[in-house]
Amino acid sequence: MQCEQAQMLIGALIDNVLAGQQRRVLLAHMCSCARCAALEAGMRADGPAVAGLGRVVLPDGLRDRVNAQLDRAGIAEDAAWAEPVSRPLPALSNWLSPGLLRQAAMLVLACGLSSAATWWVTANRMHDSQIVHDVLAAHVRSLLQEAPIQIASSDAHTVKPWLVGRVDFAPEVRDLSAEGFPLLGGRLDYIDGRRVAVMVYKRRLHTINVFAWLTEGAADTAPRLVVRNGYSLVTWTQGGVARAAISDVNSDELLMLQKLL
Amino acid sequence: MGVPMDVRAQFAELTTPHLAAAYNLAFWITRSRADAEDVVQDAYLRAWRGFGGFRGGPMLPWLLAIVRNAAYRWMSTHRHAGNVVSLDTLFLGDDGMPGRAMQIAADTPTAEAAMIAASENAHVMRALASLPPVLREILVLREIEGMSYHDIALTTGSPAGTVMSRLSRARLALRRALTGAGEKDSQHAM
Repeated sequence: MQCEQAQMLIGALIDNVLAGQQRRVLLAHMCSCARCAALEAGMRADGPAVAGLGRVVLPDGLRDRVNAQLDRAGIAEDAAWAEPVSRPLPALSNWLSPGLLRQAAMLVLACGLSSAATWWVTANRMHDSQIVHDVLAAHVRSLLQEAPIQIASSDAHTVKPWLVGRVDFAPEVRDLSAEGFPLLGGRLDYIDGRRVAVMVYKRRLHTINVFAWLTEGAADTAPRLVVRNGYSLVTWTQGGVARAAISDVNSDELLMLQKLL
Repeated sequence: MGVPMDVRAQFAELTTPHLAAAYNLAFWITRSRADAEDVVQDAYLRAWRGFGGFRGGPMLPWLLAIVRNAAYRWMSTHRHAGNVVSLDTLFLGDDGMPGRAMQIAADTPTAEAAMIAASENAHVMRALASLPPVLREILVLREIEGMSYHDIALTTGSPAGTVMSRLSRARLALRRALTGAGEKDSQHAM
């Protein structure tokens, strides 16, 4: 047992509320620790010393003043007690005056609005950062594997049918070899708790993953670029399909690909 | 009309015996005789108004809980500067003249033993007064009022486990204050 721990238990020992294992361990500790034993002896003496102070002497006349005040209050209460029903009502209506009610309502409304706004903002932000996190993780994972693709084909008409059978929508797949982004193929991945289609492109020696998933009813959003851990990431929504393109190419080239898709 | 008078008498019968305990607790929380008087008056008025909610059982914890709340309320409204009170209030009367402890010290012939006793008490009083309010009050409730853990829990509105750990902390803090304060100048130890 450590001294610090023991010191917190000595009080309980003195009050005889320490039992069993703790008591035995503490007593054993005090046998071997002179400091804690001395502390216990001192604390045992302090109790009676404080008790010896006794109560502070009651000031002359306080008893009378308290009683007089209670009598005054008692007379007022007596009058109120005579009409038991009418007593709580004035107090209540004072509290619930229209002005106060209006203020209270405004306060409640303001609190509600501000917390709703906070919730909305933070929930959105958390959702966004969750997607960024997932996309980044999926991209890095794909680079760690030997082949980041499950269907290897530079032919968009081969990749698209393969994806269609595996995700819940038909992603648009384009071969952009002519523009300097040859299509390597496609694969499936898992982003934000759902299966998503991934088109894998190449830019010189860089791999670009383009994730696509259905966001029913979501409005189109302009491309948004974030840079995380040296990777550029562009997210946008178009025609109910959310996409995220990620790569270690420079962000200008990534934005170029985004315009082509 | 007859019933309220009975209630008033019942209230007086139950609470008046505890006036000294109430004043003592108020004094040790506020560390001022004058403030303690105001607190007690306020607390008794509140107790009377809330007497309808008293459901029997021991009166002292119920009453002291009200005194305690009144004292803390008093401190927060009347002392924005916090807990900084000169301990002169312990040694000087309300009129600024030397209080009980000093009068005893000034009485030369008879009371040398009393003087020593008083100075020992003063030492303990200063140590107790130097603790934070929650530790002061719990020592007062336990050692001066001799309350059980259960009644202290009722008074302070905290679970029994908290009472135990707080009391341990209080005892430890008091021990340190007593051993530390002895070396300092006795009058202005704080």
